[in-house]
Amino acid sequence: MEFIFGQLAGFGMAFATLVSDPWTYVYLITSVFLGITFGALPGLTATLAVTILTGFFGNKIPLDYALIALLGAYVGAIYGGSYPSILLNIPGTAASAATAMDGYPLAKQGRGAEALGLTTTASFIGTLVGTAALLIFVWVLLLISKNIASPEKALLALFGILLSGTLMSADLAIKGWIAGLIGLALAMVGMDPILSEARYTFGWSYLLSGIAVVPVLMGAFAVPQIIEGMRHVRAGRVAELNGRILPNMTAMRRYLPTIGRSGVIGTGVGALPGVGEDVAGWVSYGVGKSVSEEGDSFGKGSLEGLLCSETANNACIGGALIPLLVLGIPGSPPAAALMGAFKINNVIPGPTIDPEIILRVVAIMVLASFTMFVMGLFTARIFIKVLRIPQTVFLPLVMVLTTIGSFSVGGGLNDLYLMLGVGLVAYVMNLLCYPIAPLVIGVILGGMFDETFRRSLLLSDGDLSVFVSRPGAALLLTLIIALILGQMPGAKRAIRRLKGRTT
Amino acid sequence: MDNSPDTAAQDIARLRARDFWSALALIVLALFFLWKTLDIPLGGGNGAGVNSADWYTSAAIVPLGLFGALLVLALVLLAISIRSGGAAQALSAAGLGWSASEVWRFVAVALMLLAYIAGLVPRVDFILASALLITALIASFHGRPEPRPLLPLLAIAGAALAALTMHFPRAEWTRHGDDWVALALLVALTFWHQATGPRGTALRLTPVLAIGVPLLLICAMAFGFRQNVPNRGGLIFAKIEYGYYVHLRPIWRS
Repeated sequence: MEFIFGQLAGFGMAFATLVSDPWTYVYLITSVFLGITFGALPGLTATLAVTILTGFFGNKIPLDYALIALLGAYVGAIYGGSYPSILLNIPGTAASAATAMDGYPLAKQGRGAEALGLTTTASFIGTLVGTAALLIFVWVLLLISKNIASPEKALLALFGILLSGTLMSADLAIKGWIAGLIGLALAMVGMDPILSEARYTFGWSYLLSGIAVVPVLMGAFAVPQIIEGMRHVRAGRVAELNGRILPNMTAMRRYLPTIGRSGVIGTGVGALPGVGEDVAGWVSYGVGKSVSEEGDSFGKGSLEGLLCSETANNACIGGALIPLLVLGIPGSPPAAALMGAFKINNVIPGPTIDPEIILRVVAIMVLASFTMFVMGLFTARIFIKVLRIPQTVFLPLVMVLTTIGSFSVGGGLNDLYLMLGVGLVAYVMNLLCYPIAPLVIGVILGGMFDETFRRSLLLSDGDLSVFVSRPGAALLLTLIIALILGQMPGAKRAIRRLKGRTT
Repeated sequence: MDNSPDTAAQDIARLRARDFWSALALIVLALFFLWKTLDIPLGGGNGAGVNSADWYTSAAIVPLGLFGALLVLALVLLAISIRSGGAAQALSAAGLGWSASEVWRFVAVALMLLAYIAGLVPRVDFILASALLITALIASFHGRPEPRPLLPLLAIAGAALAALTMHFPRAEWTRHGDDWVALALLVALTFWHQATGPRGTALRLTPVLAIGVPLLLICAMAFGFRQNVPNRGGLIFAKIEYGYYVHLRPIWRS
């Protein structure tokens, strides 16, 4: 009880500090607005919103304000994706793909305003659920993480990359692992962290300091999006919107258990390393369909289906921040961009993170969700107008934004060359169905994996049993082996047989 | 969208054919980097000046493991592709499964981005370079029944080539010869777009967006955030910067 009161008091202080600073509102309103706009424009994603703002705000304003801008954009963009899903049947972000299943049929029935009112409320509640989980579990995990040493850190980084590769791959899991390994390999470029030996620099002095995270993020997420948007022009007709956008309180009360369940699912999926809001939305939608009495109406304009995906994808944000803040492992692709902002500010998320930062993040999340809720209800018509901007007009502007953002982070022209190179590779990988998120997570965690793996061996004089002799390490190694074996054809058949017997 | 089982099966077959090529590329990549890793001392002797360095502290140990794992996974992917008939299809399948117009569209966009990043941004005024890119992309792809990227591509590639040939060395990047070429091509492209582009708000707004957005961004970055911006000595930005520091800033500084 004392712990909870202590947390609430700390949160109250951080919240009061934020609320009493006028600059908070400037950054918050601007970033949530930009976030919703990015989410609402099909072709732009939440990851891209956070990445581009990292280029702009990451190291140019104090970290406190940079966090407001980035978290505001993150919350806004995940919510904003629901607009085109409902009104155009084109998900604005991958996170809102499941929303389109019921949102668009509702809009076609003339209930678009009701659907938008519900998604606004569900996103607001979902964000708060995730934030509450963040406030509680981050401390529990921080206590546990104090006992984490190099072997556990190395295995955790590997587990995060493999899990992200497995769950984010739309085709074979092996492609996700390959993407993760490519990311890890990119992180090997430059001076090694223990002996300062130059690796794979090919005589280019820029590479001695390693591959910079922000250009990789920009290249991996922005350039493929721009090329794809220009290659395939997607046009949709905005569904007619009748009536006011208001929360349907009767429906909210009726589906309160669904909202609670989806919030928990979203937070849980978000807490898995490298697994994003899209997976959270689909998992929650799938669970909702199988346990709901109205499961048959899912996909035909079900309010419950809509609430399942929208609550979960916003709850995922809080969940994704838990491993980021506690272990330095991003829980989702936009969280990877946030990690980039931490890195360029020389803040190392992990067991040694300043507790003030965590409390501030929680306070920002609460304020951002309120701002999103108010904007969603009162300025929705503006975002609906945004849907009419063709991507062939705004994507060229995004390219210029990306270029100047990437240039000004620090590496200058070399960062731009890196961004373009990574972008073209990422585009080809997209075409070949290799997921990009594990690659980015690999780049971010590669340095930590290299350093902690070798330090473990150094401390044990090369004895590999260091990875099984500690309980935490043994558990992680078991999980890694289970994850790999679980993708073997024999294991998959056995799991299918087992499922067949239980159903 | 056709979601029939036949279409899904065709998509999987095409994907496996592509996997065949990507697996081969990954094998070559992994072998190349394994060979490069052999340059890094693997323990013993004098590792980066540390005499006591052993195999387990070597800077090569993790990369060896990574590229070894990449090689194994690529071989597994190759085996999956061959077993699923990917190898047989790879030789007969039409490249990436795109139509000629899609390939042309991709090549045009990729070349425009390359010309912009590698040729224009370092050497030409950022506002002019970005305006040229924005105009070229909108003029090529917005609202036309069939995209017409050839002329815009020639304009942006021409400006990039002029910049590369006129002022290749870094010492000459502040000179303005290439800026004038880019400006002339931008004006010509804008006239062509206004004459041939589809009527509408986007057409009217293109010049405003093309100039206004980069102008706003570079001013915000340089004077708001006080950050480094590309090509400070560019034709337009140099004058803006002079005006800002000589005429505007003293007003509120005093």
